[in-house]
Amino acid sequence: MATEARKKEILKGLYDGVVEFDEDKVVELSNAVLAEDVDAYEAIMDGLAAGMEHVGDLYANQEYFVPEVLMCSDALYAGLDILRPHLSGKEADVRGQVVIGTVEGDVHDIGKNLVKMMFDVAGFEVHDLGRDVKLEKFVEEQMKTDSEIVALSALMTTSMLAMPKVIEMIKARNPDAMIMVGGAPISQEVADNYGADGYAQNAANAVQEAIQMVSRLREMGKA
Amino acid sequence: MTDQFSARGSSAPSPVLLAGQVLEWSLGSENLNSPAGSADQEVRRMSLPRCVGGLRPDIMTSAERMEAVMVGLRPDRVPFNLFGAGFSARNVGYPVEVVYTDPQKCLRAQLWTGEQFGCEPTTGTGYASYGAYEFGGEIRMPRSRWESAPSIVRPAVESEEDLEKLDLPDVKDAGMIPTLMGISKLQERLGLPISCGISGDPATNAANMVDVNRFCRWMVKKPELAHRALRLSTDHIIQAWDYWIETFGAERVSVGVYVTIGANQIMSPKQFEEFVIPYQVELHDRIRDTGIKGAMFHICGEQNLNLPMIRELYLGTRQTPFMLSFGHEVDLDRAIEMFPDSIICGNVEPQIIQNGTPQRVYEVTRIAIEKGKSAPRGFILMTGCDLPPMAPGYNVWTMRKAVSDFGFYD
Repeated sequence: MATEARKKEILKGLYDGVVEFDEDKVVELSNAVLAEDVDAYEAIMDGLAAGMEHVGDLYANQEYFVPEVLMCSDALYAGLDILRPHLSGKEADVRGQVVIGTVEGDVHDIGKNLVKMMFDVAGFEVHDLGRDVKLEKFVEEQMKTDSEIVALSALMTTSMLAMPKVIEMIKARNPDAMIMVGGAPISQEVADNYGADGYAQNAANAVQEAIQMVSRLREMGKA
Repeated sequence: MTDQFSARGSSAPSPVLLAGQVLEWSLGSENLNSPAGSADQEVRRMSLPRCVGGLRPDIMTSAERMEAVMVGLRPDRVPFNLFGAGFSARNVGYPVEVVYTDPQKCLRAQLWTGEQFGCEPTTGTGYASYGAYEFGGEIRMPRSRWESAPSIVRPAVESEEDLEKLDLPDVKDAGMIPTLMGISKLQERLGLPISCGISGDPATNAANMVDVNRFCRWMVKKPELAHRALRLSTDHIIQAWDYWIETFGAERVSVGVYVTIGANQIMSPKQFEEFVIPYQVELHDRIRDTGIKGAMFHICGEQNLNLPMIRELYLGTRQTPFMLSFGHEVDLDRAIEMFPDSIICGNVEPQIIQNGTPQRVYEVTRIAIEKGKSAPRGFILMTGCDLPPMAPGYNVWTMRKAVSDFGFYD
């Protein structure tokens, strides 16, 4: 059992490992969490997730850019892969479920992957369909998983046109599903015109939107 | 619905307007999709005024206008270039992929579309995924209605070992080069300006070659690998330019240089300085040293933090300047202030041309024209990046209408 001082040291190390995208350090300390009987949930939330939250701030302040965030994401997942299997049932409870993917005709997935990561960090169960996803697949996956949220990404002005179509298809099958859209050519105005329930201006904002959406659904008793 | 034309200075809509008369749209509070209480009444109010009026007659031909801009004389009006080979294909009924596979259809579509909308003719093509196919990867042509350009199916490099083994491809046979050369030969036969469709963007081509995610990681963790990919990418571009120069002569060829992945939506200014600028310097100096006739430099996306470094590149001379094309993210006033000796091009947001109402298109185009006209070395109206193939033709015509209404220099 780690002392309080050692636990703090480990959590700080995980935080720093994510921020400094030091994957080896994160792996070493995640193994130390298990070996020294530190609470895995605490290690994820106060170490890895807290570090990623700071990365989000660095990105927002233009101190980090996409290459750095991708490296931080690698460090984060290296830790999550080790620690997640050791969460207790209650701790593993998810905040909500999200189906995410880049729409058909679009192979760009950097933005989608960053949003996916933020959902992971925030405790959502993420069903990642990848890129160039057939529109029907979003509908099928939402129905199969009963996910509260479907997050659609597009980088191209052409592929963004698939968004209103898939929103219509999902809503026709499940009017209660909440749809979030994002990507370079998307704006709040476009999201509104497409009939989306939320707009992800960036990865951090996507999670805030999603949390609000799930809250709205729960208030309505639909989630 | 109060959406209608009216003569400038007149409060009432006029059903009879002379060609060349300035028109204005007065915007109502309702939008085009609002449920109408009386659809018939709305149609009567809208349709008649929209069919009248016309474009102010040009004084110069397109060739004269472009020549005037290039040599630094004031043309009759702002030139309007369609930045949209894919749009042109779709506009004339071809699938979008013909601009990447069929030189004749590529040129025909752009010439016909330019004629239809009264744009200055552009006939070249190129694609942002350049680099993967040319170095041995695989691309897919746009086939579905949601696709506008070739997409990478498999990059040329999938491991560090792949990169170490990679060599320069045969420049006459690599990827899409035969098609791009076919387009240039057709341009020559038709007496059109000869544009080399090779994407002059070492960083983006390198990222396409090795996969964008992998390239970004290498920039941080293994910069030597990123630089090796950049070296190959830059050498390939120079070889390809030389191929064009040998075929047509440097004095007849224009090339395109781009900084796409270098945008601050992806890269930091520091990374731009390390991974973009040195290779751009090589290309820009090559243009100077070989006497290539001209260059279009597309500064794609959010580049505000990079502009001071871009300003240090060779950008032509005041007599033969580069054309600098900006995305909507860079304010034209700033572009003009920073690059007073360049021909400024841009920068209407493509998404608005695709999704916006004609009123919105007219307004954003007016703003671009009014800012652009103050560029001391000339201005060409364009979209800030590729015109989306699915953009409504009416919105493109609306851009042309704004050129007629606001673009004359008198």
